[in-house]
Amino acid sequence: MRARFAQLSLFGVAVLIGLLLVGQLRSQQRPVELRTLSPQELSGLVQSLSQGNRELRVELTAQQEQLDGYRTASVEGQSELELGQQEVLQVNAFAGLGAVRGRGVVIDVDGFLDWIAMNDLINELRNSRAEAIAIGGVRITGRSVAVPGTDSGSVVIDGATIGTTFQVLAIGDPEALYGAITGPGGIKNQLEQVAAVTLELKEADFVIVPATARTLVFNVAQPVE
Amino acid sequence: MSGQTLRRGPTRRLSTRTQWAVTLAVGLAAVGFVGAAQFNSSAVPTQFTSNAQDVLAAQVLDLTAQQEQLQGSLNTVNAQIETFQQQAPGSQADLAALNERLAAARAAAGLSAVHGPGIQIEIADSHRQVPPGESPTSYLVLAEDLRAITVALWASGAEAVSINDERVVSTTSIRAVGNPVLVNDSYLQPPFVIRAIGPQDQLSQFEVNPTFISTVKQRIEAFGLEYAWDTMDELQLDRFVGATGFREGVPVRAPEGN
Repeated sequence: MRARFAQLSLFGVAVLIGLLLVGQLRSQQRPVELRTLSPQELSGLVQSLSQGNRELRVELTAQQEQLDGYRTASVEGQSELELGQQEVLQVNAFAGLGAVRGRGVVIDVDGFLDWIAMNDLINELRNSRAEAIAIGGVRITGRSVAVPGTDSGSVVIDGATIGTTFQVLAIGDPEALYGAITGPGGIKNQLEQVAAVTLELKEADFVIVPATARTLVFNVAQPVE
Repeated sequence: MSGQTLRRGPTRRLSTRTQWAVTLAVGLAAVGFVGAAQFNSSAVPTQFTSNAQDVLAAQVLDLTAQQEQLQGSLNTVNAQIETFQQQAPGSQADLAALNERLAAARAAAGLSAVHGPGIQIEIADSHRQVPPGESPTSYLVLAEDLRAITVALWASGAEAVSINDERVVSTTSIRAVGNPVLVNDSYLQPPFVIRAIGPQDQLSQFEVNPTFISTVKQRIEAFGLEYAWDTMDELQLDRFVGATGFREGVPVRAPEGN
């Protein structure tokens, strides 16, 4: 009887050890619970999510207006083709298949940026909410990336070689773009510190970002019906 | 051997009671050790959780819920618009041509779901114990890892890419706010699943892309990030749900004939 009790006790202890070990192992993983993030990280998340949601609301309003336009058109017999053509123009511009004009920044780059730095620059412009980007006359689409060229040290984007003196055009809020790129710890300082390059930025009231020369068609992917 | 018979010394057997006592003592010591380690590892985050953090964490949850709701509404409105477009009266030939152009534009922009063969990559934080003096951040998947993988996939012929179901499009930013990673302004957590549709023979070369080698591969080897990939015969990537309208820009109408 006593031996049975002792065995059960030992079993209980083993189970307890197992549970504690699992807890210990889990505590080594990333603290995914939000409360374990620092106040700075949480503030950053709140700021980013708030801005993202604001943009989603603007988008939703625009889409609602477009839907209302279709409803009105179907009642009043207006041309829905025109509405459709307007959307084609809009979506093509978003994809990079159409040119875009508007306010933004112009960056004159003088010096060599390798492909890694070039991709960092593209990402930083996207982080700063650029709506359309061109580098050295090449429109940056969702599929555009800088890669090493066949010539030693050259950089290629969408098949075009980017030289050592080129211009970057970005459409977006000029002040926000300028501040993000030139601010403390911004990509301008980072690149100028690690590469023999200078970046001259200026805000611009009128920039035209060209359409891509690529077709962006799918060869393998198929639309879901 | 000399042929002598070896003599065993007197055998001492512990009593059953003593054996159990020793076993239990060892077990309890182990419980104490693991319990202390558990307490030490969990004490710090709890200790520094402040009211401000609680409020901010609640805000993040609230904003994430709002984001999901807004994305759902956008999906619904988009579907209604597409229905109108497909049912619009008028010349069937014009309408068919317009819908074809719209479908092509949406596909190119990442605004329609796609399927096809490709590859799937999974990457997660390291399970290694962080050595004293080293930064725990090195053992986490960072935004730069996801950026490098994405760049390597596009450079290897990908036609569509998603990260944890967030479709990568022309305005997608992959960035860090401290350690947390945001993609399309959505807060993503590991494990990160990156899917790419494209020619499998080309996509399989993403590991030799210099961007992948110089960042992700080195970190996988140095810090033990959990990492695996495989080719997939069939993948489905959701459409991008987010802002596609321009705030500063205006689409330029191409000259007739272009």
